[in-house]
Amino acid sequence: MRVLFFAQTKDATGCDSIEFAAGAQVNTEQLWTELLKKFPKLAAHRANVRLARNWEYADADVQFTNDDEVALIPPVSGG
Amino acid sequence: MEIEVQLTGSPIAEKISPPRLAAHGAWLEFRGAVRDEENGEKISGLEYEAYPEMAVREIRRILELLAVRHPCLAAKVIHRVGIIPVGEAAIYVGIASRHRAEAIALLGEFMNQLKQGVPIWKRRALPVEAVVGRVTPCMPVGAHPAASGGQRTARPTLPSLDEAIAEIISRCQQLPAVRAPLAEAFGRVLRETVCAPEDLPPVDRSTRDGYAILKNDESGTFQVVDTFHAADWKPRQLKPGEAVRVATGASLPCKNLRVVMQENVERTGDKIRIVRRETSTHINLRGEDLRAGEPLLHFGARLDAGALALLATAGNVNPLVSPRLRVVHFTTGDEIVPPDQTPKPGQIRDSNSVLIRGLLQNFPCDVEQAHLPEDFERAKSEIENWKLRVENADLLLVSGGASVGEKDFTRQLLEWLGFEIVFNQINLRPGRPLIFGVNGGASVPASRLVGSLAPPNKIRVAFGLPGNPLSHFVCFHFAVAAALTRLTGGEPPKFLRGQLAEKLDDKPCPRETLWPGKLEISPDATARLHPLAWANSGNVACLASANALVRVPINVGLIGADAEVDFLPTTPIISGRAEV
Repeated sequence: MRVLFFAQTKDATGCDSIEFAAGAQVNTEQLWTELLKKFPKLAAHRANVRLARNWEYADADVQFTNDDEVALIPPVSGG
Repeated sequence: MEIEVQLTGSPIAEKISPPRLAAHGAWLEFRGAVRDEENGEKISGLEYEAYPEMAVREIRRILELLAVRHPCLAAKVIHRVGIIPVGEAAIYVGIASRHRAEAIALLGEFMNQLKQGVPIWKRRALPVEAVVGRVTPCMPVGAHPAASGGQRTARPTLPSLDEAIAEIISRCQQLPAVRAPLAEAFGRVLRETVCAPEDLPPVDRSTRDGYAILKNDESGTFQVVDTFHAADWKPRQLKPGEAVRVATGASLPCKNLRVVMQENVERTGDKIRIVRRETSTHINLRGEDLRAGEPLLHFGARLDAGALALLATAGNVNPLVSPRLRVVHFTTGDEIVPPDQTPKPGQIRDSNSVLIRGLLQNFPCDVEQAHLPEDFERAKSEIENWKLRVENADLLLVSGGASVGEKDFTRQLLEWLGFEIVFNQINLRPGRPLIFGVNGGASVPASRLVGSLAPPNKIRVAFGLPGNPLSHFVCFHFAVAAALTRLTGGEPPKFLRGQLAEKLDDKPCPRETLWPGKLEISPDATARLHPLAWANSGNVACLASANALVRVPINVGLIGADAEVDFLPTTPIISGRAEV
């Protein structure tokens, strides 16, 4: 799957996206565990970050697959 | 409600015309501008970042939901991203409604929700000393310096592949949906979520040939009181000791039954005796496959044969879908002769017409093609005959006339036709002289449209494709296909991960490359890519076997066998689009 980082999360990871092969399906908790392993600095943002799956905000019980585009959405400030 | 959403790297136009709707009595406009201070500090501008694909969807979703409570006629939202100087607008919202009250209510709630959920960020404030120049028209939208440690790198003069795709995605708008009969809906994008109109199956059904009896009936023998065939529907409350002969698929007479397979029964006249007990009830319960109201197909699904069959099952014979697109394709170049003629020295046969027609097969559309003389004035008078069709086209493609030498021809032509050129070169090989233009966007005044027939708010899209067939192939798959999917509301083409089956022997190139490849799926389901030989962008031979484009990053050169690469599939069967 491709995971995209924006705004503060991009500053924390130092890149705008990564590709990684997850298991067949991962839930939110497993995804965060993987991400924090790669980017410990993301821990500070976790509480404020919402996850999006394929351009829509994901529900708490979402399952991510390898075909998904996942995005970390920190608090927004458009308009 | 008609909805139009744009993210743009350019300044928002000073004047935006309201949609031409006879019914609207109110046209409410709001512009949010950048203030001269941020957190108490004087600033000269703000830099905005967006997740363009999602931002556009979220804005649309919010508007659609709000329109249920505040029925308005049309809404247009433009959000600018990149560096925005103080005093200039970051957002524009225009709402048309019958009366002012619903537009005012919708605007207020929309802005609140936008600030809570639409993925757009103020990234940094520019101090007063910073010189804020005019932003280039090709300001990247949602594209960032990858793998550079987060530092900002100097922006190349030409847009990168990602930047070009992001521009196309943000500039192209969904066309209004239409209702189409099932027989004409193949390949269209569903623009509504279709729910099951009733439980499926609508009643309890037997899955075996046998005898229905009460679930807990322990009688020794049963009286057969009726016979049900597959099409029968005869409600009846069974009593203990009674059985009904049922065929596979027959509707059962009442609740709380089980079916005993005929193989497990001894029948004598009208009496049966169960000789072997079973654990299964052999019943397909009402609503077991689908409950009434459950979604069958979601908004955005591409209607293939199976999806159409499902719609037919649900009785939805006129689904709301993307319209059939109208495409006009002009070839240019005096050296081109029709394929049935023998080219004289210096001439070549036209292969682009049939190539484009074939590539467009994956998108339901009507294509009209013509050849233009390579002289601007003569080409213009030729197009006069085509004016109506060009004005009504959703997509205009011009082959050739874009490379060095005659580089102004296609650009001039598109500008003359009222298109705003978004970019006219990109940092890509092959396909560098790709031109992308839009018409009917916010920044095009209505006076620049040809004639008065084209509605000013309808977005039309044009590409000037570099003349050679390989560039056509490449540009079609990453650029034209992205525009087509946006116009229809489907998913834009996606790069996938695969493995090189053999080494890709390239010299380091300062441009990104889309290298033609042959994709095969290995027995362990890995995408393996064979790079195909091509020497220059005029090579046609490799087109016949190419079904993927392998992405070679800038200045990389040789890539070894088994290395992981990004690729874009060019056949719909295995494309990311078809899998979504």
